[in-house]
Amino acid sequence: MRALLLRRLITAIPTLLGVVILSFVLMRLAPGGPFDGERALDEETRAAMDAAYGLDLPLGEQILLYIGRIVRGDFGPSLVYRDFTVSELIAQGLPISLTIGGLALLLACALGIGGGLWAAVRAGRWQDEAIMGAATLLTALPVFVTGPLFVLIFALGLGWLPVSGWEAGSPSHLVLPVVALALPFAGAIAKLTRAGLARALNEDHVRTARARGLAERQVIARHALRPALVPVASYLGPAAAGLLTGAVIIETVFALPGLGRYFVQGALNRDYPLVLGVVTLYAGLIILFNLVADLIYGWLDPRMRAE
Amino acid sequence: MMRSRLPLLIVATIALAALIVPPLLPWTHSAIDWDAVRAPLFSPGHLFGTDTVGRDLLARTLVGTRVTLAVALAAALVALVIGTAWGAIAGWYGGKIDEAMMRLVDGLYALPFMFVVILLMVVFGRSIILVFIGIGAVEWLTMARVVRGQVIALKERSFVAAAEAAGAPPSRILTGHILPNVAGVALAYLLLTVPQVVMVESFLSFLGLGVQEPLTSLGILVKEGADDMDLQPHALLIPGGVLVLVIVCLTIAGERLRDRLSR
Amino acid sequence: MIVYTVEDLSVRIDGKTVVENVSFTVEASQCVALVGASGSGKSQSCLAPFGLSPGIPGGSARLGDTELIGAGRAILQRQRGRDVGFVFQHPLTALTPHLTIGTQLSEAWQQAGAEAPSREAMIVALERVGLDEPESRLDQFPHRLSGGQRQRALIAMAIAHNPKLLIADEPVSALDASLRNDIMALLDALRREDGLALLLVSHDLATIDRHADQIVMLRDGRVEESGPAALHLAAPTSEYGRELVAATPRLTDPPPTLPETGAPLFVAGDIHVSFPRPGWRKGRVQAVSGASLTVHEGEALALVGGSGSGKSTLARAIARLGPVDTGVVRWRGDPLPQRKRMSPLHRRLIQPVFQDPSASLDPQWRVSDIIAEPLRHLRPDLAERGRAGLIKQVLQEVDLPAEFADRFPRELSGGQAQRVAIARALVSEPEMLLLDEATSALDVLVAGRVLDLLEKLQHERDLALLFITHDLAVARRLCHRIAVMEAGEIIEEGPAQQVIAAPTHPVTQKLVVASRA
Repeated sequence: MRALLLRRLITAIPTLLGVVILSFVLMRLAPGGPFDGERALDEETRAAMDAAYGLDLPLGEQILLYIGRIVRGDFGPSLVYRDFTVSELIAQGLPISLTIGGLALLLACALGIGGGLWAAVRAGRWQDEAIMGAATLLTALPVFVTGPLFVLIFALGLGWLPVSGWEAGSPSHLVLPVVALALPFAGAIAKLTRAGLARALNEDHVRTARARGLAERQVIARHALRPALVPVASYLGPAAAGLLTGAVIIETVFALPGLGRYFVQGALNRDYPLVLGVVTLYAGLIILFNLVADLIYGWLDPRMRAE
Repeated sequence: MMRSRLPLLIVATIALAALIVPPLLPWTHSAIDWDAVRAPLFSPGHLFGTDTVGRDLLARTLVGTRVTLAVALAAALVALVIGTAWGAIAGWYGGKIDEAMMRLVDGLYALPFMFVVILLMVVFGRSIILVFIGIGAVEWLTMARVVRGQVIALKERSFVAAAEAAGAPPSRILTGHILPNVAGVALAYLLLTVPQVVMVESFLSFLGLGVQEPLTSLGILVKEGADDMDLQPHALLIPGGVLVLVIVCLTIAGERLRDRLSR
Repeated sequence: MIVYTVEDLSVRIDGKTVVENVSFTVEASQCVALVGASGSGKSQSCLAPFGLSPGIPGGSARLGDTELIGAGRAILQRQRGRDVGFVFQHPLTALTPHLTIGTQLSEAWQQAGAEAPSREAMIVALERVGLDEPESRLDQFPHRLSGGQRQRALIAMAIAHNPKLLIADEPVSALDASLRNDIMALLDALRREDGLALLLVSHDLATIDRHADQIVMLRDGRVEESGPAALHLAAPTSEYGRELVAATPRLTDPPPTLPETGAPLFVAGDIHVSFPRPGWRKGRVQAVSGASLTVHEGEALALVGGSGSGKSTLARAIARLGPVDTGVVRWRGDPLPQRKRMSPLHRRLIQPVFQDPSASLDPQWRVSDIIAEPLRHLRPDLAERGRAGLIKQVLQEVDLPAEFADRFPRELSGGQAQRVAIARALVSEPEMLLLDEATSALDVLVAGRVLDLLEKLQHERDLALLFITHDLAVARRLCHRIAVMEAGEIIEEGPAQQVIAAPTHPVTQKLVVASRA
């Protein structure tokens, strides 16, 4: 297991470095960007940029300088939000994005695994068909459709929940964004769980357990569940990336002051340091999450721990 | 038989309508009818009504569908070509080449790709070509993994050894035995990639980073509909509904084909 | 004392009757064997009464005094856990991968309501089934154990609750020949010591002849013969029984008449093959180290060995169908070029037939195209017309009707597919066939007929055979000489009769004992 994690880390570090270097070079090459000497910048920004990126140094040294700053948690000044550094924006927005994303992931796993198991146990009956039909529909519901739709129905129509806003994370403000974000992932996890358990229940070792006179409930809980969840575990990495991406939309739709919204504003206004900082941070987060997924994987299947 | 083809039939009908109908309509997707701003559903001349500035929603939905599907198909084909070539080469040669090529795929997989695409947009400006190159470049990863796995499995099958013994040169084994047997699965994943791309394109357009006016796409229409939904919910529901229908149908068709082939 | 009684048993799957009118009894300490070709319903008759297969049983099956047929799910489930234990065919997949051996043994121990066992008790149980280092095995996950070790662990679990009846569904057919004997001996010991009744499902007549008291021969779900095993195997009373016995080569069969052999065809000297270790580890695994072989014209050489002994790797290296590190192969005195440099003329010399016929035919190709493939590359002088003629001829030679040329592989049975593979190998008129376990994936009767076909071809075509097998009896039926491989080396080689009659190497001796019925 330790070897596996080490191997992942060995691939993770160059990946992260690659992202940073690629992003930085792209930014430097960008026509009309803030690194382009021809663009008129006010003195203050110019000075801040020079200090941050050492623009008079050779490219290689600039990258090293930038990496050194990132390691210390300094992503430079924001061009759009003039009074803030990128790090300050991240400190403000990231907790909100992580709250929404984390809650959505938990909800998606609970709904998806629960629904998938229920469908698998009732394989071939109407409950199975209904849940799997719903799961397929859910995976096809983009958050930018469900988000506004939920606002229309539950906030504007029924008036049960607030339309938008954060209000320091009050539960009623969290419900719609979290649910809208979680649903497509719940659908995908339900499908994986259903297929995984159906496959696991057909395996030889489950027949051995049945031959031992165990009740079906015990057979599933002790012998079939863990192998059944292996595909779900390998989906967690992509799911985390998808949730962070979806959070961008959700924050826009529900006017939440999360990092995703800063990112979109930054992208629309060519706030290079902000965009660069968020991309680097998210790449790091996703790599971290993939490591966690590997740990779960190793717990589910000890054969993965070998080597 | 009918039931199994229904999803593809629905998508084909929608695509055909998006292609044929717009020129027959009295209004183009960008023309403004000053007499009918925010016309409701089923208004005379505007079956789906009009938007906040008086553009015909039927024309806009059809043209948006056309653009979305065209971008999706183009990007999915890019993904198919790159992914199949990459996966086939890695799987066929194996060893160090495979190791290096798939390491790269693993690395790219760990990237928050949507953000990289957005980064590219920021750097190079927004253009529809960049949208689909960016998307195609993201979506080929899954295809490469699937094709590689298939090729490795097929390479182990003894008909490949039998072909070698029969004197077939490697190029002939690849084109005569390996690729035809990969084709079915690749097609299934092509079907599954298209809805993914539809989703990504709409996502970018929704944020204002994808397709640009005066061209339109389902993502833009959903965004416009969402901005005006308290007054005209159908402006959100119609393009949103078409989007969901296309994604659901293609997903079902792709999954069925994949499951049938993996049995 | 009768432990298990089956009367007029029938099993239906999806409305189709797959077992009908089957009756037998199993007494304590007795071994009753169910025999038959695949699809004869032997597994179904064992598993369906206990609710372990999708089949719906009818008739009567009594375990002790309890009637199983018609009992509710709860009763069946309780019965499974109490007086009966099960051992299945594939030990590699029959253990739950994420639970340690100790956890699973403890679960099995408690299935009939016993207290959780102490560690010491479990160690004793594992010792009893002959598992080495039982102490450390308890904490290991199944993937750390070999196939034979896993089957021992599974037997320990199957008898942990002291059942009266053990049902073993092909318990040794996935294991190497030398292991088979050990496992069967263990089951014999359990019968002797505990009075355990054994219901054995097997297609291997040699195993049955040696270990079973009673035999029930099934064909298409009906009993064809039943009675004392030794009697019925020595003199089957039914046509089917005779066919089964005839299709199973045994070391006790009279020696076969083999074609005359000629000058040396090929000499392979000091072949070494290694593979890179999987994953990130450095170094290579030596698969074949310094093996040398000679085959003469018209001669059949058997390459015998357990799985992983390197026999296939060596044969592929010689035929230039696999990698080779060092070593020379001379064909009638001239060196055979390396794999990448084999010309059509060279390729024509050796043609292979592989184990799994379904994997050796491209599912997208028609039979005619499959057989034509070697002709297209190796006989470019032939026109379309000449090819068609040869294909027709060769199909006839392998006893397939001409209309099979238009079929796809999925429309063929296993035996038919293997005949097509043989036809493909023959069509370019090679001097030697490489047969890589060519009959071992086939059903008993089908394998017997394919062996007959190979025997016919050997005589008519004057073909040399390099015959890879794990089965000495099969090797003896066709081959002049036998070479035994173990851990990448040829440990013994000689005339077939001599190797079988007087093996010198301990591994060969064990193999012969295991194969002797």
